[in-house]
Amino acid sequence: MLSQCRVKLHVLFTFATTILAISAYARGPMPKGNAKSELESGPAAQPIDVYDPLEPVNRVFFQFNDRLYFWVLKPVAKGYKTVVPHTARTGVDNFFDNLQMPVRVVNCTLQGDLEGTSIELTRFLINSTWGVAGFMDPARNHCQIKPRPEDTGQTFGRYGAGSGFFINWPVLGPSNVRDSAGRVGDMLLNPLTYLRDPAGLRYAMRGTERINSTSLQLGEYEEFKKGALDAYISLRNAYEQYRRSAIRR
Amino acid sequence: MNNDCHKHSPILLRTFIGVLVLLTSLVQAGTPTNQVRQTTDKVLEVLTQPELKGEEKAEEKHAKVRRIVDKRFDWEAMCKRALGRHWRGKSQKQRSEFIELFGALLEKRYMDKIDNYSGQEVMYQDERVDDGYAEVDVAIITKPGKEIDVRYRMHKASKQENEWTVYDIVIEGVSLVNNYRSQFNSILNCASFDELLEKLRAKQE
Repeated sequence: MLSQCRVKLHVLFTFATTILAISAYARGPMPKGNAKSELESGPAAQPIDVYDPLEPVNRVFFQFNDRLYFWVLKPVAKGYKTVVPHTARTGVDNFFDNLQMPVRVVNCTLQGDLEGTSIELTRFLINSTWGVAGFMDPARNHCQIKPRPEDTGQTFGRYGAGSGFFINWPVLGPSNVRDSAGRVGDMLLNPLTYLRDPAGLRYAMRGTERINSTSLQLGEYEEFKKGALDAYISLRNAYEQYRRSAIRR
Repeated sequence: MNNDCHKHSPILLRTFIGVLVLLTSLVQAGTPTNQVRQTTDKVLEVLTQPELKGEEKAEEKHAKVRRIVDKRFDWEAMCKRALGRHWRGKSQKQRSEFIELFGALLEKRYMDKIDNYSGQEVMYQDERVDDGYAEVDVAIITKPGKEIDVRYRMHKASKQENEWTVYDIVIEGVSLVNNYRSQFNSILNCASFDELLEKLRAKQE
């Protein structure tokens, strides 16, 4: 049943890639950096129109995620924070990040960024050995090799795919059609997905990852809400801007 | 004749280099990056002053920071751009009220950030200048291995003077002005300008 589902996902992924590759062929890859023309127009902050036909539903899930944070994630992460020291939590964060090397390597390669591919492979080699299974990041702290955080959604974008429409997923948070498809790709490239035995281990790992990263970001969401007049619109716009700049980079 | 030339050239050369150094330093002082740097350094100086530490000194510290930052930030331009097309057709009173309220919100966010300052380093990465507009890219090292990319969008206050002021801050690719504009647009779609002002006022508490 599970493997059948995986095959289906795989087919879906291949299908999506093909479509994107075709559309990219027609349009050509996006130019890198466009500061000059941006500057010439002066204002630079062109309003971004986010297509959001699901707004009513998205707003409901925004409320849901808001409560999920304040009622569940935050208290749990706070408790976790008092028990686990900061260094250990950064280590866990590094560990999960290191584990996702295939996501970055494959997407750097697909985007023709071979320098990025070799950077990511080098980082993985250094951090998995000298960095004790990825818990530390000597590649960055000693060798000054910074990561290239490329994901599948960015690869789709790089080849000309637009964002489609905005989707605010329950639990997972802000996304759009392109990045949701990208997330499927990222999942297939994440080794954690293939963790089977024992049955609950994968979910335990995912849960730990989430609580750990929340514990390192406590207060950020609160601050974001304090500055916003309409937090949903602010989040939607920020997500779109952030992804656009990540694709351009 | 030849000898004469040789005798004079070191002095001439030195004067020439001297003038060159002087000129470049003058030009340097006027670049957008240097102006951002000067402002940042001054703010950091205030923040690291031991006599301004602690809750009871917060007010004094904020006042000092405000005086420094006000010179570099063009709050009015920020407000104007954030309001976009809705800026047009508003009375002088509405505009100045908006600038006051929105400016206070921006300032509050900035001060909250500053209160959390704990020795982060600022690195100046890149600068692009095009006529009256400029972009200055900096990276703020929050902790070992973590950086926040910040881009200051600036414009020249006037054609003659070489003063650059910030009209937008882009954090990790997210423009502050653009983000607020989307919120204002959405609110003004189904509410009046006075209701928007009311919302801004409610944020003050």
